[in-house]
Amino acid sequence: MKPPRCSSPCRWRLLLPGLAALLSLALVPPAGAGDESPDFGWTSRLVGEGHELRRDSPLAAGLELTSFGRDRYRIEQELRGRAGPVSLLLTATEPGREGAKPDGRFVANEAYADFSLGGERFTVGKKVLSGDVAYAFRPIDVLQRESRLQVMPPQLEGIPMLSWDNFFADGAWSVVIANPGHQRRGEAREDGSVALKLYRRIGAADLHGVLRHSNRYGLELGAAASMVPSDALELHASLLTQRRGERRLPLADDASIRDLLTADSALVTGTIDAPRKALVGGTWTTAEGFSLLGEFWWDGTAPAAADWQRLARQAARRAVLLGVPGVPAAAVAGATAASTRIFEQGNLARRGLLTRLAWSDPGGGWSASVDLLKSMEDGGWTLTTALAWQSDRLRFDAGLRRYGGRADSAYRLLPERGVAFVGLSLAY
Amino acid sequence: MFRKIALMLLASVSLAAMAAEEGKVKTLLKQADAYRLAMESGRVETEVRTFKAGVPDKTRLYAVYLKPGRRSLVLFRTATERGQKMLMLGDDYWLMMPSSQRPLRITAMQKLLGEASTGDVATMTWGEDYDGQQAGEETIDGVPCLKLDLVGSRKGVSYPRIVLYLAKKDHHPVQAELYVASDKLAKLARFKLGEVDGRRQVTVMTLVDHLQKERSTEVHYLSRTAKTLADDYFNPAFLVRTDVTQ
Repeated sequence: MKPPRCSSPCRWRLLLPGLAALLSLALVPPAGAGDESPDFGWTSRLVGEGHELRRDSPLAAGLELTSFGRDRYRIEQELRGRAGPVSLLLTATEPGREGAKPDGRFVANEAYADFSLGGERFTVGKKVLSGDVAYAFRPIDVLQRESRLQVMPPQLEGIPMLSWDNFFADGAWSVVIANPGHQRRGEAREDGSVALKLYRRIGAADLHGVLRHSNRYGLELGAAASMVPSDALELHASLLTQRRGERRLPLADDASIRDLLTADSALVTGTIDAPRKALVGGTWTTAEGFSLLGEFWWDGTAPAAADWQRLARQAARRAVLLGVPGVPAAAVAGATAASTRIFEQGNLARRGLLTRLAWSDPGGGWSASVDLLKSMEDGGWTLTTALAWQSDRLRFDAGLRRYGGRADSAYRLLPERGVAFVGLSLAY
Repeated sequence: MFRKIALMLLASVSLAAMAAEEGKVKTLLKQADAYRLAMESGRVETEVRTFKAGVPDKTRLYAVYLKPGRRSLVLFRTATERGQKMLMLGDDYWLMMPSSQRPLRITAMQKLLGEASTGDVATMTWGEDYDGQQAGEETIDGVPCLKLDLVGSRKGVSYPRIVLYLAKKDHHPVQAELYVASDKLAKLARFKLGEVDGRRQVTVMTLVDHLQKERSTEVHYLSRTAKTLADDYFNPAFLVRTDVTQ
């Protein structure tokens, strides 16, 4: 469902802060009040981005028709809290994009109720359902399917769901019906599905299991573990096997010129039999506030190095057609732009290695991090540095990300060299 | 033969004396604990004020639910942290960030990081976690005190060693030296008592940081209520639910 739009000046932008201010005044309990009182908080956030495009990219011919590099800023207003059993996360966002009029977007990211009925615990509504124990790539996040490692991402949007939750001494299990009434929709996270989630704690280890069924993937079976063998070390692993998987791929090398120039057929969706995803990782933390995270994964549903190479070859073939009489430049640009949708897949690294060195001031306030993500199969990489400062109400973020690697690797084919970002948020 | 018997007798007497000393220290710790949390299960509203070079820096609000068996659930109430939860079950810790809605297992070291480590907020007793012996007497701020040298009885305690000073008169806590694993003095804690519900209770714990000079923290105990949560609430999988209200 497309979110409702509002004209500029955006009504929601004006209405929501007013509503939130009223709620904050009326509902926020005084210090020391019980948890039974409604509790709401309001956050205003400004995110600015500056992108450097890769104009010599093989995909540059389609750049004007894509959204690459167009994001300039985002103003967000966020209301989060709960009243009785009802939890809410509402956001109003005004994105600023080069060449586009600002338009507002209002989303109920979460609106759900946790309640007991006949001694059983249920949740109904729209709720974020993230899962898994990993950081960079989450094989068993089969419900939320969160895109990881985004720069200053907006709040996650929940999934319409109904769950029946059961808890016992060292574990829990839940039955979750996600997107009830849906069959297959545009994105996997919008598909109707039913899932059984298991959790068991054994000493210093957490074990997670998930079994999900959907029309798109059939049965998905996953397991994950997180353990703390010492005061400083945490280790984790995650594994998923699917009855079938999907990925977007470039056309075959022998595609006709007609197909090459048709935007609708620039990519094909390939089905994979019984793909697997797996990750192992760990975090080492010191008393001085330093932490080192390492994760290595395999994603059987991500495009292979050969697929990225084929994408580069096809982009080059289209570029050659640009000067050919009778070939409309718009067709070349349209098909090239459509082929960049291959980057919309959650994970681009089939064999990925993430190293993250982070520091947070043990006394609070400042934190910094450097992330290096290496795609082991195709030789691409991303390097991200970030700095943050937080006080009672204010948070400041700034950072840089660069993409690079072998010329025909996924991260090097991205028609973007890097992005600088800054964020400022005020909570009250 | 006589020498062997004498040695065995001496060893037995020493062991008995050590056991008696340990029992005495345990009793003292229980009495001191009663000034911090005079109930087995309860909810403590806490305000943490941090200072840099004596200048107020940040203020944080927490609601802490405590249960026997070293179980505590910390709800973060400050605007920038609203919705965060931390669960501590003995030596195991989980953090739940509202943005991801998934409980994350963290290490003891990660738990210690932050303005006032949540360990300082969530741990209200010594009796369950420490053993030790009396190491003499000292006067602190004009108060004659018993000096106890305590060692953590489990690996996950925030401070493996504490030198605790209890008032000789009524055994209320006066001062504690908190040592990290390297046996460095990390913080010096001072306790201020006040009249709460007709009994003397610790109302403020002041922590002077010795590792990060010029930093200090005041932990204000705003209220203590005997509110018990069902065992489900202390299950890591329960953290994603928001019905922490019943």
